[in-house]
Amino acid sequence: MIMLDGVTKVYRTRAGRKTVLRDVDAVFQSGHNFGILGVNGAGKSTLIRLLAGSEAPDRGAITRYARVSFPLGFGGTFHGALSGRENVAFIARIYGARIRSTIDYVEAFSELGDYFQMPVNTYSAGMRARLAFGICLAIDFDVYLIDEVTEIGDQRFRRKCAEAFRERMLRSDIILVTHNPQTMRQYCDRGAVLANGDLTLYDDVGTALGRYHRLLQENN
Amino acid sequence: MNDIGEIGAGALDAGELGRSSGFLDACRRYLADRGIPEQEFPLFYCRLSETLLHRGNPERAVECARVAFELRPQAEETAHLCAWVFSNCGCHADAAAAYERLLKFRPSWVEGHRHASGSFAAAGQMDRAIVHARTASDHNPSSFEFAMHAGCLLQSARLFEQAADYFARAASIQPGEPSPLRHWSAAKFALDQHEDAVSLALQALSLGPNDCGNAVHAAELLLRTGRFDVALELISETVVRNPEDVVSLRLLSEAQMLVGRPEDALGAIDRALAIAPQMAEYHLHRANLLYRLGRLDEAAEAFGHAAELDPSNPDTKRSQLTVYFDTGRFTEALAIGGELIKTSPDNEEYAQAVLQILNRRFETLEADYVLLSEREVRPRRELRPPPGLLARLRTQGRVIQALIIRESRTRFGDSKLGYGWALLEPVLHIVMLSLVFAVMMRGRPPIGDEFFIFYYTGIIPYHLFIHTSSSMTYAISSNGSLLQLPLVGTFDVLMARGLLELLTDTLVATILLVGFGAAGLGALPHDFLGASAAALVVWLLGCGCGFINAVVNAFAKSWDKIWAQLTRLLYFCSGIFYVPGMMPEWIRDILAWNPVLHAVDWFRASFFEQYEPHWLDRSYLSAIAVVTLLAGLGLERGLQRRLHEPL
Repeated sequence: MIMLDGVTKVYRTRAGRKTVLRDVDAVFQSGHNFGILGVNGAGKSTLIRLLAGSEAPDRGAITRYARVSFPLGFGGTFHGALSGRENVAFIARIYGARIRSTIDYVEAFSELGDYFQMPVNTYSAGMRARLAFGICLAIDFDVYLIDEVTEIGDQRFRRKCAEAFRERMLRSDIILVTHNPQTMRQYCDRGAVLANGDLTLYDDVGTALGRYHRLLQENN
Repeated sequence: MNDIGEIGAGALDAGELGRSSGFLDACRRYLADRGIPEQEFPLFYCRLSETLLHRGNPERAVECARVAFELRPQAEETAHLCAWVFSNCGCHADAAAAYERLLKFRPSWVEGHRHASGSFAAAGQMDRAIVHARTASDHNPSSFEFAMHAGCLLQSARLFEQAADYFARAASIQPGEPSPLRHWSAAKFALDQHEDAVSLALQALSLGPNDCGNAVHAAELLLRTGRFDVALELISETVVRNPEDVVSLRLLSEAQMLVGRPEDALGAIDRALAIAPQMAEYHLHRANLLYRLGRLDEAAEAFGHAAELDPSNPDTKRSQLTVYFDTGRFTEALAIGGELIKTSPDNEEYAQAVLQILNRRFETLEADYVLLSEREVRPRRELRPPPGLLARLRTQGRVIQALIIRESRTRFGDSKLGYGWALLEPVLHIVMLSLVFAVMMRGRPPIGDEFFIFYYTGIIPYHLFIHTSSSMTYAISSNGSLLQLPLVGTFDVLMARGLLELLTDTLVATILLVGFGAAGLGALPHDFLGASAAALVVWLLGCGCGFINAVVNAFAKSWDKIWAQLTRLLYFCSGIFYVPGMMPEWIRDILAWNPVLHAVDWFRASFFEQYEPHWLDRSYLSAIAVVTLLAGLGLERGLQRRLHEPL
């Protein structure tokens, strides 16, 4: 369970200040998978980073009654000069996971081959995402935060990820940012819509998608 | 029997009246009442039947004829009339039996064979029909109609060789008639005699150039034998002359497709469909064309039309499935696949196709629909309380430790020696500079006997300060990606760098001391605690400056360059290679503002018992260190959120 209590977050961009959340109270219940919808620029990634704790809210508090993953997205969580192995060791250390077995798992899962010993700087975006998926799955999180990265790697690798997640989803929840209604319907049983600084949670995906489509129409 | 018509009419009235008890019973009673002799009954029934047929009552006529036929099958006249009634009333099997009976009396009656053949054919008994048709034509080989009839029956029974013979006979009887040639051509084609077939078809066309059927037939054969261009020319002319003929349009489309003009072919089939929109096959053809043109969505729609108009054809659905599959519309493809499997559960190919869709769907959707079904059984998880202070401290300890390890790995990332360089570099630096100063000062340090130890006591506190404060300046910018991790904060990366510097410089100091000892320069501090305290306080001062540097550098990017100049100045102002006591008093008073100078003298005083500088103020240094540290930590805490940009 992740609880947002009067959370306000203002984002500074070159264009000016953008309010992502304005005095939002919300509870992401455990045992449910949430899909977060929002038009481009609504601040979905910022919301995910707030839920993860990568960023702190400007006002209010976010309480996590669960072990929440780092945001699994295309943004880097790796140090470019370190090898894949050293990055895995680093993340295993900070989460207090067993280093040896974590490295072995990620090395096998990510299928990076010799690249596993090479600096992450030399990786393609897809290879980084594979490494990130591997680490995320190697560490037991209660809630996985995924930011629009359901389409990584080739089909075989995606399938492998899906299988690993299927096993993991028996114990863990996911909170997913996506544009794709199909992905949302298939991963999630609850929805949330982020718009104009307001976050609304819905008990079913269909209602959330309906609201989202109306928003898209209004924007057009 | 002249009054037979009158009797018949009377019987008919009686029959109508006695409707309730049955028409035939009424007739029988009427005949008995009139005293008509029994041998005349069949004739009576025949006439009655004829009258009934004329009056437009075929059911009753057939009933009467059946009675008559049963009563006197051997009479030729009865049989003849019955056959006529039966065939006119659509009772072809009865008619055929009657004709066969008649032919027993008159075996050479050629028309009878022809009639019998027609009736058998209509009744669906093809083998009997063929026997009679052949007999008719063989007995009268000069009849065009008999020959054509026999040929057509044989052709429909797929006996093409014999059919061809009869069509040839018909053609020789009427050499100017195109239809036998056309049929003959079809038979020849079915016998795989393609050349003969084509030349016959062209012959038919030349005899009947205005008959659309001849042109279509010839064009089709030309297409099938691979002469696309000739066929296209022919069918194009036909379409110009008969623009409304859908068969010609369909063939034109085919020809255009075969010569590689699918757009034109699409135009032709669209014209045909505008005239005959209900033709499933045309929709199918159109769908195939669209598929070939890569207009997959339209193709899928066209296949859908074809499947709707002809639901019995599973191949249409199979094609639709392929199009949906190719366009990635797996849900639709799966629905069609389901229908296919339902209608043909034993078809292996359909099952394979459906399996393929399922696999693809599984791959593209990452099997998530499977996930959904399994999610139901997930047990509710216990809420995990937010970590307490102790747990948070433990986590922070882990993070800083991990960061220290990662810093020590990357500091000299490209070198084989790695962290070894971090130790070796200052050792070499100190040894080199000591040698230089030893030569410059002719081997006599201001304090003690060895210049090495004098310089060492100056450079170690200075390095602690400089290394710590400088390396922390870049801690945030060089760890930007790791700061994306929720557990890693700016304080952690700064502290990790500071601690690593403390560790490194302590190791360097120890190595040098051991080295001096090994070289016989015995230089252990007389006040070990004092030396440690001096090192710790100057390190804290370095940390404070490091925090401030990191914050300032995040907002003023060139601050690091200014800081580099300040540290160079500090090298000369901190009493490293001299003692402030050697300076004029007014200079010493200015230098005494420098906290690092106090650190050096504190450290030095702990090494040399005789060195007791009166200007040394340990509390001044400590106060500056504490104030700086508090200021640095405060700045870091306050501006934390603006110190790094999210990636």
